[in-house]
Amino acid sequence: MHRRILGLVFAYFFAGQLTLQAEDFKLLDRDVAIHGFASQGFVYTNTNNWLTMNTSQGSAAFTDFGVNVSTSVTDKLRVGAQLYDRNLGQLGQYHPSLDWAVADYRFRSWFGIRGGKVKTTLGLYTDTQDLDFLHAFALLPQSVYPTDLREATIAHLGGDVYGSLPLSHGLGGLAYTAYAGHRSDSVYSGYPYLLSQFGTYLKSYGGLQYGVDLRWRTPVKGLLIGASRMNEDITARGSALNPFDPLDRISYSEYSKADWTNQFYAQYTVGKLRIDSEYRRYLRDQVLYSGASENVCDVRGWYVSGAYRITKRLELGSYYSRYTVTSVFGGALGTLIPKQTDTSLPANHIYDKVITARVDLKKFWDVKVEGHFMNGYAYSTYPDGFYPQVNPQGFKPNTNALVVKTGVNF
Amino acid sequence: MKCLKTLLVAAGLTIFASVNALAADVKVIANSSVKADTISAAELKRVFLEEKISLDGTHVEPILEKDGPVHEAFLQEYLGLSEDDLQAYYSTLVFTGRGFMPKALGSDAEVVAYVARTRGAIGYVSRATSVEGVKTLAIWVPGSSPERKLITRVEPDYPETLKRLNICGTVRLQVSISAKGNVEDVELLGGNPILGESAAAAVKKWVYAAGRSRTIAEISILFDAQR
Repeated sequence: MHRRILGLVFAYFFAGQLTLQAEDFKLLDRDVAIHGFASQGFVYTNTNNWLTMNTSQGSAAFTDFGVNVSTSVTDKLRVGAQLYDRNLGQLGQYHPSLDWAVADYRFRSWFGIRGGKVKTTLGLYTDTQDLDFLHAFALLPQSVYPTDLREATIAHLGGDVYGSLPLSHGLGGLAYTAYAGHRSDSVYSGYPYLLSQFGTYLKSYGGLQYGVDLRWRTPVKGLLIGASRMNEDITARGSALNPFDPLDRISYSEYSKADWTNQFYAQYTVGKLRIDSEYRRYLRDQVLYSGASENVCDVRGWYVSGAYRITKRLELGSYYSRYTVTSVFGGALGTLIPKQTDTSLPANHIYDKVITARVDLKKFWDVKVEGHFMNGYAYSTYPDGFYPQVNPQGFKPNTNALVVKTGVNF
Repeated sequence: MKCLKTLLVAAGLTIFASVNALAADVKVIANSSVKADTISAAELKRVFLEEKISLDGTHVEPILEKDGPVHEAFLQEYLGLSEDDLQAYYSTLVFTGRGFMPKALGSDAEVVAYVARTRGAIGYVSRATSVEGVKTLAIWVPGSSPERKLITRVEPDYPETLKRLNICGTVRLQVSISAKGNVEDVELLGGNPILGESAAAAVKKWVYAAGRSRTIAEISILFDAQR
């Protein structure tokens, strides 16, 4: 049904029958704005199935859309909310979620607070990773922004303090965000899906998330650098197969012993050229099976990307993205599962070379064509795009992918 | 071939000159509720990027023009962003719940009218636009000394002959302000020399709030024969 509706909408656009613009109206003498976006992708891979889709046959199960409404209650108080829904292969499955719902009070330019369900600030693009129309690339570098794990970092139910201030002596400006709240993943996200291969089904997955982001607009024109830190305390609950009786199910839980992310980033914009680079390290020490086992997963990713706008309608881009993961079990599983520590093996890395072309057909409508040339599949205890459930024949070391994506926004 | 090269160079110079001319032709206007008379280029950028929400204690709201040469000149001169980059920036705010899409109006006249009736509104229009009902904010040189609050302003004489001949335009001056707030020196940076002389004579009588040290500022004064 969703696909049919989206298909009709896109058909209208292709036929040139519609134009899009934000809707504004008055409510109780206040301006209320409505904005939205939608994107539809198609992915074809030559070997492994990717991102839980049946991409080796070509898959269009790559859809998302969102709509938001916001208004100013007073000069300093703004409220708004955004609904978001997506389907990515086996993930999302068109279960809509409240993406954010925020009351934002700005006391001063350098100090404001926002509360509710708030987008998490982590690196350059965590908070805008769903907004396809803002990016040159159809898929952001998956080493740092794994789309199958978007819910791990996308938002928290809690609050932020934030602000920005100019620095004296022409040293540019600083912006900061500090936050704390509760992260709650959908059971239709990447990690629960990964566990489902073992007959483990999660009913809930989330917990405390807090952190800080500091970014410096340097005196060098166009150069921004920043750093983010996030700590989490994540608990999962569900059920698993009884290892002693495959017909029986037992309760399953896991919780964090340590869970943190460090991210460092730089962005340089000059004229029509934008260069980004980020490094993220995610360490996850998780106690599994109600304390019977433990798994330490060390994920490191970085990328360098460049995008250049050739003409008003055409932008070309490329990036190199490098992802490695190690996984070591302790406790009962430690005796059964060997350590995964050699990151030179395809099972423990993904090196992705990407080229892309973005065409802006209209101000509100873009099309992207992108090629990925990947070495490795990084199948580990924490996922990154490649899942055994959709690759029952096993993984091949290399995967080339063609991604075509179109999106609209208003 | 040589002729073609010359033509290309001439065309390039013409385009460059026209862009610069456009940049100088923008003036920043504000609703009368805005207490400030001056704004630094850095502050102006922060206001339009929604990083700064008040000026001298007054809440401010940026107002854009939808498109056109004045809009492009303003983006280039004061924000250092292309139209696409600016729209992407505002979209980031709107779609993450961190800000709003400023009102964008279709013409100078609409901007003046909206700014005139909206408390805290700050916009930009072409130099030639009549700005009745709003105030014009003087802009400080980017990266120069900190803002000095203007306490006493003396309006320049508009030489009658020039006014009658409809000779008008903007005069740009570089002003040296002592720590005590007196104008020590005025240098003409651009504009009609006769109007510049009149403007300089008036500006020498201006008095600023005392500061920590001597500061340099750039100010623009509009001579509008229609007013």
